[in-house]
Amino acid sequence: MRLRPFALAEPESVPEAVEILARLEGETRIIAGGTALVPTMRLGLATPDRLVSLHRIPGLSQIRMDKGTLEIGAMSSLAALARHDAVRSRWPLLAEAAGRVATPAIRSIATLGGNLCYAEAASDPAPALLCLDTRVRVADSVGERVVPIGEFFTGFYDTAVAPNEILTGVSVPAAPAGARSGYVKFCPRSAEDKPLIGVAALLVLDAAKRVGEIRIALGGAAPTPMRARRAEAAVKGRELSDAVTRDAAEAAAAEAEPLSDLMGSVDYRREMIRVWVRRLLLSLGSGS
Amino acid sequence: MIALDFTLNARPCRIEVPAHWTVLDLLRDGLALNGTKYGCGEGVCGTCTILLDGEPVRSCLVLASRLRGRTVVTVEGLASDGEPDRLQTAFARAGAVQCGFCTPGMLLSARALLTENPSPTEHDVREALAGNLCRCTGYSKIIEAVLAAAAGR
Repeated sequence: MRLRPFALAEPESVPEAVEILARLEGETRIIAGGTALVPTMRLGLATPDRLVSLHRIPGLSQIRMDKGTLEIGAMSSLAALARHDAVRSRWPLLAEAAGRVATPAIRSIATLGGNLCYAEAASDPAPALLCLDTRVRVADSVGERVVPIGEFFTGFYDTAVAPNEILTGVSVPAAPAGARSGYVKFCPRSAEDKPLIGVAALLVLDAAKRVGEIRIALGGAAPTPMRARRAEAAVKGRELSDAVTRDAAEAAAAEAEPLSDLMGSVDYRREMIRVWVRRLLLSLGSGS
Repeated sequence: MIALDFTLNARPCRIEVPAHWTVLDLLRDGLALNGTKYGCGEGVCGTCTILLDGEPVRSCLVLASRLRGRTVVTVEGLASDGEPDRLQTAFARAGAVQCGFCTPGMLLSARALLTENPSPTEHDVREALAGNLCRCTGYSKIIEAVLAAAAGR
């Protein structure tokens, strides 16, 4: 079964791409890796007249360091992120989350920019990026603006990227010194599925083993990926005791606003948030 | 129509293709290379897996225009000089093929793994084949075959 015919533009620069976006008529979609958009089109849920592919724009698939900040081009594949030496050593949380998306033959072509713009609530990379205080770079015909990741996801499958804009990349600041981090995802059906819920956390223990810096983020726990601020407050300044991890897990389950779908009910999602937040914090507390 | 130049199974390929065709459409309907199968069309089943610059990708999800200047290997390109790839031999020996519909995707996913990691553990093999669905053999013989090929058995 073929895709419904569409016109294809393959601009070779960001200015050319945004110019095409500004002038085209009919339903226009940007295509990055296509791993989300193509199935959506095949199912008839998207019927674009035109696609603007970003694959010929040089530099958009670059991953590089700039004075300690990680600069990731929007077209970088999740596989490239997961195997990148500097990402693995200095931002292991991001490498781990990118390497947990779907399967090898999807990660090789799926892009970080595409993952963010698709805005799946149960995205694997999104909770990691939320914990890493990522800044998202967005360009239009006037220039570039920066959106903090906390303001990027605006609703169910919706983002701060306007129809005339292109997400060009993200900037990830250096993680705090001595940070421990981890990402866990719970897949009740198959391991390559999107998670029912995913939990990312990054924390720094002080000399007295108390939690200094703490960031916890959830996927699949609300209409958008979210920071679990009340769970963070429950552990900040405390030792990661059994009781404290329970408090944090309760807080996360309470502040989540999960949706009910074929994968799981609201109650089941809350229960799994409770279980997996606690498991992750316990494992980070024990240093494993 | 879009004009494409790329390398297909170690040979140069120049062809014109409609803009809305995927790589799978081009392989099967444009080039009559029917070894790559159309399964789900949504990137879930894995039988359309090919190698693009050595990495496994789902050909049903990739627009054909992405091939420009790149290197593609399909199941037809796995053998060299008439000799089957050792994975193909190992699949036959282990009985890792029943109906055969998933086999092209299994072989190419396994080829990508062994090129990157010549001595994989069973866990590595399972991870590499994740997303390649088989409804006949139950996977055990497929995993055995990949491990046997890696071990030179």
